[in-house]
Amino acid sequence: MKKTVDVSIPLGPMHPCWKEPVRIKCETAGERVLRTEIELGYMKKGIERIMRGRPWQEVMFLAERVCGICSVIHNMVFIETMEKISDIAVPPRAAYLRVVVNELDRMASHILANFSYCYTIEHETLAMYLLNIRETVLDNLERITGSRINTAYMIPGGVRFDLLPEDAAVMLADLMKVEEEMKRYTRIFETGPLIALRSKGIGYMNREEAIRAHTVGPTARASGVEDSDLRLCHPTYQALGFTQVTRTEGDNFARVMVRFQEVFQSIDLIRKCVDTLPEGPIRGGGLCKAGTASYSGEAPRGELTYTITTDDYGRVVDITIRTPSIMNVEACAHAMISEATSIADVTSTFISSDPCIACNER
Amino acid sequence: MKYLYEKDLRQMKYNILTSTRHDETVRAVAQRLGMSDAKLRRALIQKLDMSFLENLESRWQMGQKHADNGDPVAEELGCELFTRFIPLVDTEAMQTIYSDTTAMAQNTPLDEAIRRGKERIREAILS
Amino acid sequence: MRNILQEIKNAVRSRSIHVSYVDVGSCNGCDIEVLACLAPRYDIEQYGIYVHNNPREADVLLVIGSVTPQWVDKLRDIWDKIPEPKVAVAIGNCPISGCVYARRGTLTSPPVEKYIPIAASVPGCPPRPTEILSAILSVAPLIFKDYEERKP
Repeated sequence: MKKTVDVSIPLGPMHPCWKEPVRIKCETAGERVLRTEIELGYMKKGIERIMRGRPWQEVMFLAERVCGICSVIHNMVFIETMEKISDIAVPPRAAYLRVVVNELDRMASHILANFSYCYTIEHETLAMYLLNIRETVLDNLERITGSRINTAYMIPGGVRFDLLPEDAAVMLADLMKVEEEMKRYTRIFETGPLIALRSKGIGYMNREEAIRAHTVGPTARASGVEDSDLRLCHPTYQALGFTQVTRTEGDNFARVMVRFQEVFQSIDLIRKCVDTLPEGPIRGGGLCKAGTASYSGEAPRGELTYTITTDDYGRVVDITIRTPSIMNVEACAHAMISEATSIADVTSTFISSDPCIACNER
Repeated sequence: MKYLYEKDLRQMKYNILTSTRHDETVRAVAQRLGMSDAKLRRALIQKLDMSFLENLESRWQMGQKHADNGDPVAEELGCELFTRFIPLVDTEAMQTIYSDTTAMAQNTPLDEAIRRGKERIREAILS
Repeated sequence: MRNILQEIKNAVRSRSIHVSYVDVGSCNGCDIEVLACLAPRYDIEQYGIYVHNNPREADVLLVIGSVTPQWVDKLRDIWDKIPEPKVAVAIGNCPISGCVYARRGTLTSPPVEKYIPIAASVPGCPPRPTEILSAILSVAPLIFKDYEERKP
């Protein structure tokens, strides 16, 4: 009989599949993974420590640079927390424009995550299709905000730029194209037999495990956790009639499919926003005051919480950021990968939870 | 050329625990267990990996909400809380402590039995 | 007399550049802009540039981000593993100055030039994919041209 040797296989920090450096140490018996351990610290910039004692005007730009992929939502949640502290009201037009920009960012992020997954399972054709359609989404983001990645679009009491009617028309035409193409790509993903072999039933996480680790976002929704989308609690989204996507399979396939479905949902939301865009100013007045508040918003990866304490001059005295990737990466490493039947599935399982190490470590 | 690079992670793990929320969580866990913060921090750094430490706060919150519902002895000891939510104690060790405590509770007062049980949990964490 | 072998090498090298990127602690923004270069719109491969993440067969190393504690010793290791001729290009503001992270209380220790030699840098937060592309295309031939002849 062949002897089973226990080997600890380190993956990373530099790995062809990882977009960011992280090290996963897998203890294996043959092909089976028994235990995983994550070594972080490759992206720890100490951004919370930098933020302390700085005026909000500066922290606003720092908050954006917690994560480059979902920079709009970091900006939005920080600004909405400041508004909650200081009781600043947002004009309705600005609230709708925030949703438009946020959904564009979510689409770009979800498409990038699905690109990474397809690239990891070596389906390069679909990956390149997705990466190309992402450029169209980013073009629209740039047309509205003036920047592709770090937009700094929102400010307390409103937004910086108005959505011009001609820009809106171009955006709607672009979204039509994106929707058409995404339908095709979703069909390719859904019906591809080789994709199914590498995705279905792999990296399974049940609902109890998902709740125990407090997973959020598409990772939780793929495991059937209800009411895990904070957009259900956001007043603007409630006005737009938002409903949550939930799947119950809990494997890699479900997680990617949830993101595909959410892209279509985002397109619908943007259309509804543009159709019902109220007239009026895009910037209101207000003064940032002292106080403490905790506020959560739905990032592309899940629940994002900012807890901020400010003083009378609008300086940030204390701040903690709880990003969705903290929970998702942890659950992925200890619940999905630790039961993997093959070491070859570790990379694709890890990528399927859409890990963002820059978020995770801040 | 060195082929194995294992760095000392203790300083970086400690950095994670210095964030305001993590610090509050560690204090809350230490109070629940009845041990000093510094000792608990050392145990956490030794036993858990960096991802667990980052996620400590959410796991603690979810543990308070969902762990050990029903059984008063298990709730007091934190049977599920300290094995499945925050894995500081082995499942077998916790099972022994739990069964010993329930056995003891039949002869001695419940408070005394739970105090003994908590003492053993502290030992198991620090070992 | 010109060395014919060197001429052939120059011609081949100018159309075959292997790129590897390493993120040493950035916000991910530059990371995804490097990835966006792969998209068919920018089509990095039509210039003969092949992006993968293996330092052992790379010619160009794209360094992204200000340097975090874990990378202080490892960045040099990665640089040593790249075979000659090699060149490092800094992408974004972070490797140059530390950008927004170079403040009081930070855990990073920029600039990257302290650890490995940087041949070119592309400032921007983040730079556009076209800028990254043109930087690679203009710096790589300069370093690789007549490499064997220039070698002492």
